[in-house]
Order: sequence, then structure tokens, then C-alpha cells
Amino acid sequence: MAVALRILHWACRIVLAGIFLYSGYFKLQSPLQFAAAIAGYKLVPNSFIMPLADYLPWVEIALGALLLSGWKIRYVSIGAAGLLLAFIAILTVTYIRGIDADCGCFGFGDKISPRTIARDVLILLPAVFLAAEERLKNSATNYTNRTK
Amino acid sequence: MNRVAMFVALLLLLASAFPASGVAADQSCEQCLGGAPDAPIKIEVFSDFQCPACRELYMDTMKLVLRDYCSLDKVCVIYHEFPLQGHPYSREAARYSLAAQKLGRLQWTAVLDSLYANQAVWSDKGTVQATVAKALSPEDFQKVLKLIQDPSINGTIARDIALGQKRDVQSTPTFFITTLGREQKVVGGLPYNVLKEFFDRIVK
Repeated sequence: MAVALRILHWACRIVLAGIFLYSGYFKLQSPLQFAAAIAGYKLVPNSFIMPLADYLPWVEIALGALLLSGWKIRYVSIGAAGLLLAFIAILTVTYIRGIDADCGCFGFGDKISPRTIARDVLILLPAVFLAAEERLKNSATNYTNRTK
Repeated sequence: MNRVAMFVALLLLLASAFPASGVAADQSCEQCLGGAPDAPIKIEVFSDFQCPACRELYMDTMKLVLRDYCSLDKVCVIYHEFPLQGHPYSREAARYSLAAQKLGRLQWTAVLDSLYANQAVWSDKGTVQATVAKALSPEDFQKVLKLIQDPSINGTIARDIALGQKRDVQSTPTFFITTLGREQKVVGGLPYNVLKEFFDRIVK
């Protein structure tokens, strides 16, 4: 059980870190293209678009690096989950509004669709696992102690 | 402590991985719509006359860039023709545009203004020639009618399309902004205010 949890823990960390690092790196290649994607959502005032395009990729890279390093992993995972929840909410709202916008998530030319929303929900799962891991472990230990 | 060091090392590694410069842009400026060829910022637009997003980019963004930045030689805007297959009148419009370009920037801009402003009308009826005629003086229009017969115009369109394909242009509008030795590709439109904020950091 403990070994399986450890493998799952590392798998979640590596996958999530890889996704954040790739996503941030890609956006940094062309901040203007990312700005165009943000503008396409028609959700953010124009004055916030460039600062978001400049700093959000670095936030993603920092999260990816922190996830790999393992420093304060629970809090970093909560941060990652929060960011992903915000992305999911924004994607869903934009899709419901019927706006034909570029997701701007991992590369460009990927239109917002139920598939892009489902993909973000899938990415959220490892973040939620890492954030709730301690509680899961405690519950498992309590359960084992009770059944002994 | 080790974890903090690892985090910092990862950030430094990533920061060093970003290229300082992109692909060098084509330096020729025969299709320069506004601004000096040696302006600190260069925008190369691949556009299709029948594409609504290209119309929006020209009318709502590039015209303001021409007014506010190109007039001060801070930005150079280059337009490349990229007529798409599904647009039956795009190539004809591109030919008129290139013919007007040979008369000078004023005439070329007038034709661009007219073609984009009346896009819905001529796209529907195919009245490209009438739209161009309205934008020019009768003398200039006669010159354009002669220039459009020049086979080099088709050659220019073919060259623009080949250039776009080489630079992985897959849809219109696509534009490339080159500044400080770095090139950024943007697919789709961008509000003028966002572009302005970007320009002002470089050439305020």
C-alpha cells in the first residue's frame, strides 16, 4: 500500500510538473500570441492582458519547478489545483457564452471545446491527489488501526 | 535547503533555455505599408482580403498602428498577400492591391481601406473592380487597370504564399512581430490597446 502510494505520489508530481513546465515554456515563446489567446476569451479588460501574458507563464513554470523539487508539496499542489480550477471555470464560461476562442493552453490553434475542458479536469486529478495525500494516508492508517 | 536550491537551479535552467532571438525576418520592404524599413519594430502581416478576421485586424488594429507608430517611423508594417483557396475573389483583390501598391503608399492604402471596409459587399457580388475604382482617382484607376496585366503581380502573390508556407502560416491573419532581435508569431487578431502596450515598452 505504502509503495503503491509512493509510486502514485511521484507519478502525479512528475506528470503535473511536466505539464506546467511545458505549458509555461510554450507560452513564453510568444507572449503576444498568448495575449491574443487571452483577448479571445473576451473576459479580461485590455489593460490586464499583457501583464497576464507576461506573468502567468512564469507562475506555471514556478509551480512546475516547485512540484519537482517537492518543497511544501501540499501547499504547492493546492496552488496548482486552484489555478487549474480557475482555468476550468474560465474555459467553461467562455464555452457556454459561445465564444469561438483559442484555448491557448498547450500551444495555439486549439479551440475551446468540451474536450479541452475535460483535459483540464483530468490534469486537476493529480493536483487534488497531491493536495489530499496526507489526509488519505491518515485515513488509511486509521482504518488499518481500527481493523487490527 | 536542498529543495530550494533545486527549485532555483530548475528556474535558472529554464530561463537559459529560452532563445533570445527567433528567426530573422525578411529585410526587404517593397511591401511596406507604413513606417521606415529600419524601424525598431517590424510587423509582417499575411492577410486574405475576404477573411473577416483580416478585415478586423486591418480596420481596428493596423490602421491605428499606421497612424500612431508608423507615421513616427517607430513601426514598419509589411503586408503580404495570402489568398485562401475557399475565397473566390481574394486573389483578384490581392492583384488590385499589388497594382495599387506600384502607384505609391497613398493609393495602396486607399485601395486597402476600400477593399476591407466594403468586404461584405464585394465578397457577395464579386465587384472587386468597382470597389477599387471608388477608392482611386480616374487616372490612377486607369493606371491600375494597366498594371494589373503585369504578370509579375501573380509572381509576387506566389512568392508571398511561398514565404507564408515557409514560415508555417496556416490561417489568416497571421503576423510576425520582430523587435530586439526576436520574432514572435501571432495567429489571429490582437486588440490595438494590447499591441500599443507592447510597443510602448520598446519605443515610447
